[in-house]
Amino acid sequence: MGDIRQSLLPRDVLSAAKELLYHLDIYICNLVQSGRQPPQVDSKTLELVEEFILHAPKDRNTPTRRMSALQELQLLEIMCSCFQEQSRDTVRQLMFSALFNLQGNQADESRMALLSKLVSMAIAVGRVPILECAATWLQRTHRVYCVRLAQVLVDDYCSMVPGSVPTLQNIHSASPRFCCQFITAVTTLYDLTSEELSPPLELLQMIVSWIQDDPRLVLITFLNTPLSGNQPISSLDVTPLGGLMRWCIKAPLAYRSDKKQALSSGGCESEQEVGPLFSALHLSVLQVLMLLPTILNEKGLYGRLALLQMEALAALVSDLSRLLDQADKHTHLSSADVHTLSQLALDRLAQALQVSMASGALLCSREDLRAICSRLPHNNLLQLVLSGPVMYYNNIHTPPLAFSPHAAHSPITSHPTHPTHPTHPTHPTHPMTPTHPTLPTHPAHTPHAPLATHPSAHPQYPAQPFMTGMPFPYRPSH
Amino acid sequence: MLSDQTMSVVFDGTPLKAMQSSHSVTQQPALSTQELSQEIKSFISGVDAVQGRKLSVREHARCAVRLLRSVPACRGAVLEHLRGVYDEHVSAFLHNLETEGSASSGVNSNLEDIIQEVHGVLSEFIRLNPRAWAPLVSAWAVDLLGQLSTKHAGRRVAPHSSSLNELLQLWMSCAATRSLMEAYSQCLAAMLAWCPDACVDALLDTSVQHSPHFDWVVAHIGSAFPGTIISRVLACGLKDFCSHGAKELVIGVDKGSRVPKIGSVVGILGHLASHHSDSIRKELLRMFQESLSPSSPLSPTSSSTSWESSPQLRRAAVPFLLQLAAMSPNLFGAVSAELVELLRPPVLIQLQALLQGLPREELDNMLGLAVHLISQSPSGGARVLRFLADTATPASVIISGPTPSPHEGVREGCDRLLQMLLLHLHKLVFNRSDAAEVGPHHSALSQPQRVIPFLDELQSHVGQLCAETLRLERKRHLWLHQLLCLLSVYGGPSVATEALCQLLTQARNPEELALAWQLHTTLSSCMAGLVPSAVTRCVAQIHTHTLGPRQLRQLLLNLAAAIQSQDEERRGAAAAGAQSSMAVQMGSAVSGHLHDFGPLLLHGDPAVSQAAVYLLSCSPLPRTSSPAHLLLLSRAAVTHFFLALRRRGEAGKVGRDVGQAGEAVNCSVQLLSRFAAYSPLTLKAVLQQLVEGALHKGNADLFGGQIADMSGAPLASPSVSPDLGASLLDINCRFGTTVNFSGSVWSVFHAGVIGKGLKVRTAPHLLDPSGVIQNIQTLMSVVVQCCSSSGLNGSINGSLATSDPDEPPPINAEAAKVIAVTLVENVCPDVANGELSWPPEEHARTTVERDIHIRRCFEAHPVLFSLLQVVAAGRPALCYCSAVLRGLLATLLSHWESSRGVSSTDSLWHLQASCLLVSCMGEGQLLPPVLANVHEAFPHLTPFEVRLLLLAVWEYVRGNGPMPQKFVFSSEKGQFCRDFSRDGDVARYVAPIHSVLHKNIDRLGHLCWRFQL
Repeated sequence: MGDIRQSLLPRDVLSAAKELLYHLDIYICNLVQSGRQPPQVDSKTLELVEEFILHAPKDRNTPTRRMSALQELQLLEIMCSCFQEQSRDTVRQLMFSALFNLQGNQADESRMALLSKLVSMAIAVGRVPILECAATWLQRTHRVYCVRLAQVLVDDYCSMVPGSVPTLQNIHSASPRFCCQFITAVTTLYDLTSEELSPPLELLQMIVSWIQDDPRLVLITFLNTPLSGNQPISSLDVTPLGGLMRWCIKAPLAYRSDKKQALSSGGCESEQEVGPLFSALHLSVLQVLMLLPTILNEKGLYGRLALLQMEALAALVSDLSRLLDQADKHTHLSSADVHTLSQLALDRLAQALQVSMASGALLCSREDLRAICSRLPHNNLLQLVLSGPVMYYNNIHTPPLAFSPHAAHSPITSHPTHPTHPTHPTHPTHPMTPTHPTLPTHPAHTPHAPLATHPSAHPQYPAQPFMTGMPFPYRPSH
Repeated sequence: MLSDQTMSVVFDGTPLKAMQSSHSVTQQPALSTQELSQEIKSFISGVDAVQGRKLSVREHARCAVRLLRSVPACRGAVLEHLRGVYDEHVSAFLHNLETEGSASSGVNSNLEDIIQEVHGVLSEFIRLNPRAWAPLVSAWAVDLLGQLSTKHAGRRVAPHSSSLNELLQLWMSCAATRSLMEAYSQCLAAMLAWCPDACVDALLDTSVQHSPHFDWVVAHIGSAFPGTIISRVLACGLKDFCSHGAKELVIGVDKGSRVPKIGSVVGILGHLASHHSDSIRKELLRMFQESLSPSSPLSPTSSSTSWESSPQLRRAAVPFLLQLAAMSPNLFGAVSAELVELLRPPVLIQLQALLQGLPREELDNMLGLAVHLISQSPSGGARVLRFLADTATPASVIISGPTPSPHEGVREGCDRLLQMLLLHLHKLVFNRSDAAEVGPHHSALSQPQRVIPFLDELQSHVGQLCAETLRLERKRHLWLHQLLCLLSVYGGPSVATEALCQLLTQARNPEELALAWQLHTTLSSCMAGLVPSAVTRCVAQIHTHTLGPRQLRQLLLNLAAAIQSQDEERRGAAAAGAQSSMAVQMGSAVSGHLHDFGPLLLHGDPAVSQAAVYLLSCSPLPRTSSPAHLLLLSRAAVTHFFLALRRRGEAGKVGRDVGQAGEAVNCSVQLLSRFAAYSPLTLKAVLQQLVEGALHKGNADLFGGQIADMSGAPLASPSVSPDLGASLLDINCRFGTTVNFSGSVWSVFHAGVIGKGLKVRTAPHLLDPSGVIQNIQTLMSVVVQCCSSSGLNGSINGSLATSDPDEPPPINAEAAKVIAVTLVENVCPDVANGELSWPPEEHARTTVERDIHIRRCFEAHPVLFSLLQVVAAGRPALCYCSAVLRGLLATLLSHWESSRGVSSTDSLWHLQASCLLVSCMGEGQLLPPVLANVHEAFPHLTPFEVRLLLLAVWEYVRGNGPMPQKFVFSSEKGQFCRDFSRDGDVARYVAPIHSVLHKNIDRLGHLCWRFQL
């Protein structure tokens, strides 16, 4: 492959790129057919890609060649058809990785630029294969770059070109996987910490409609991905659940106030739309959470894989308390409004916590939750959630078992009478009753009461008496 | 085509729909992915993907617009493609202009509507989402504008890039460029709200890239957004300047090119300066002021932009402004004038506080820059200088206590700046002249003399500079003096002359005058003939009457002092040699202009005339001079002498300034004697005029004379002396302007106004006798000094004078002859019978009238006797007075004959006159001693006896005529003498004397020995 460099050099920019793509296709086909496992593109080829497609400066002596925007468009068009026409997934995937997997060198910038344009164009002209490849890319790449890709897409379709939102909307049907990853990236990007980081209304509407139409959308990546343990560090979350929860909880305080400033001159109709949108979104999130136990059980991961990270939760709570402080201090709303809004946020937090704990998405003790949430103002629901069911206190804190297919059902089988199991088959679709209706409230109960000894003595965790205040031994999912 | 129809629908509705909010739904049916894919293919290949035919430019452009609206990823490519479309339109437009035909107008208009469409889409996008689109479009538009204007700059119809207005007109009439311009303006308007720096940055960058051709864009944008653009451009430049670091900047414009932005900042502001110089000036000054005002977060200034908040940028503002000014004379000129006004003490203190934080190297750079600027500033230099000097001049010792006041730092800074400035100017001035000297033939053309605008401007303020220098304030006058030197060297002889002349005119005391010496000492090395030209300039000043009496006086005194320093130098050997050389030069220069100073002797202001006398009396006389000048001078000197005498008399009467008036007379005497000694001509002239003056009607009273009034009108009593108000002079003055023959002109006669009776005699103005005596003494001393000076026979008299200093030098015979001749001319109007020899006494009857006139003269002018005595002393000059003597003697004889008095003392005047006459004749050796002594007896005799004796005298003179040839020069006495022994026997003339003696022996016994033969 490296020997074609000499023949590429005298070509003009576009022909060289075209030719290299052609050769790359052949080379990867050969690679796959040779059956070598794993198929690996050698570094020489990667260098060629960088030189002739990405036009990264190879060294100082050779002048950097640049493609004009028109040539670049032609190249993108060729790539589109190239990926479209390639029938074999493996080849396609390998080729995409060869072109766009980040190498940690200075070519990454142009790589990102080209990728963004390619994906944007693929969305416009409906190239599903590219979107699938991009979905994979989004799973494997560091979240910073994923966020950048998402940013470009949002800019392109939601702000730059008016009326192009429907085009983006189509990706849901075109490539649900990509759509799911896109949502994850977008929720990571827009964390509602500032005005710039608030999702545009169009995007919000789009996401809500997607999830309302198909709540399982958010779990597609999770469902389709074998948890092989080779999840790259700092990649995006497996599901957008955490990000969506953050949106819903912070929105009453953050989104509103920010939009208020931004749209002070404009109409307020969008504001009235925003509240219901987040409500619907919250509901959808809770519904999705309710789906989880089944899925987790199917996968044998219940209680062992935390889809929601404690750190993220802690950050969310501290953000929330900061927002609450701000809302108290300077606001243009009446105090009654502020109170309503903060109670709404706290309610949502409590509901999300309860459901996610119950559904096994969040693995932590109520003790830890209490510690995390101690700074929040009073909220009835939250108090309830934090105090928890007294009699089953212990059960909830069962440390997860080792990840083993044989012990997959152990949490359920060992406690068959668990009354608060949220994914009890008898009422799996009961949406708004995340807590057991007969749950006795017993605030006077103290966690210091003597408890039964720890029921399970996992090999990894030496049997020891449960000690209050001891943090939940967090365990990564692999 | 379907798509075409939709597009046209879209564009027809654009303005309306674009106004809708961001929720305006897409105006076109969303194309399917298939269609989009086809579009992209068509766009790329330029061929209709469905029908397979080539797209026209128009269709291609429409296709591009569709893509722009639907495929975000194509944005870059579409904009790139549109560049070509715009370019094509511009080409067509220019071609159309060039051919001036309508052949291609169809194409033109076609493209024009496409451009309209594109513009519509872009402006809609910008309106809907300025944040996303404005940076993109503005960068694109600016770049494209730059490219277009550069590319088509060489076209025939395109005006030259220097004619900005025509260029602007051309491009704004072209749809493509106008649309780009509008798009950019829209972007700018949108972006100003949140990131103004970015768009101006782009503008600046492009401006640098397409420098002259792009100027119209900047100019247009600048005039569309003057306030913002100017301040933005400045802020941008400042930021860039700050990030590049001021360290790289060294004085000199060539280094400035390393910072591209500041260059284009200068260019842009330079363009805007033509129409918005006011706002530019305000903006620059505001920048300066705000950079100084203390950064208080409590006071949010309304107009505050980002740079004020950064202390680093604020600190860089002043160096930046300096740099800016250094690069653009326009901007500098705009600011400099008001800047000086701004620099009030509080501002200075702030400035100092600000600059204290800067590293030393940077400060030095700034200082150098400031100095460079000042030296290059074409106007306001005088103000700057005054400001610097004022600020740098230390307060008086008493005020500034032991602890330095906060102003002290400011003062020191200014001091340093001023010194650097002087040093810099020094270098400039002397390097410049060096260069001029080294290669006058080969490098004079290639390297023209460097102009220093600061000095150029100051040249017109030399006078003020001199005045300030002469104030002798400490330190200040040193600076100014140095500056004067530089200015003189720079400006060449004319300025140097002016400066020296001003110093000479304005100095008021020796210390101040010393500055002139210093200036001359510095300049004399490189400039010759400075003193003469300065004196010439001074004389010119006198001629043009630009000086007031005080100044005039001061100038004359200064010149005199300058000359006199020569004498002092001669006396005290310690003085500087340079000064003496200057004094010598000064002396010779003044002596060349003596005739110009002469008229000043008669200046109406006594102070001036006295100063003139002082000057003339101490200035050396020229070696050669034209007689006319000499005569004029001597006339003026003599006239001044009489004026001085009169002033002395008046001063004595009033009782003040006596000393000064006396001093004036002394000076005048000295001057006259110097003149008289200068040459025979002057001696003659001086004596002649002295005598004439003494006898003149106007001066007669000075010497106790009475004007013999011929008219018989009675003397009016002082109480009733009605002023008739008739003045022939007045009427003659009016004569030319008013034609008035109402008889008044003709009614004025010398004897009075017709119809008003005789003219009233004015009461004689009599001086007190002591004054008269003093005046006569003075006159005599002048005359004697003149006569005895070494004018005619200098060698002989001079040697005698030196041999016997105690004895007064003898009266020069020639001088005495001059007096005698003048006397005769004045006293004796009739030249008939004017021969020297005397006729018989009886013949005197023929000249009775003349004799009476002569007697009256003697009566009216007692000073005549004194003059006669002088003449007598200068033997044989008295011979030439023969006619006068004879006339006087004849009248005396007839008086004594007819006198019936008992004693000669009854007619006192005649007795005195007789005595004086005889003694004079004796002194003049017209009579032998025996006869000359007879006057001693006169007071004791009767009139008849006096007549007898006088007759004897007459007889002797008739017998022994008063002929000059009878006198012989005796070298031991140093004068002429007459040997009476060669004449006839005296005895027969002595007989009547002896008879008279005999008759009155009782009273005249003691005199007998006087009449021994």
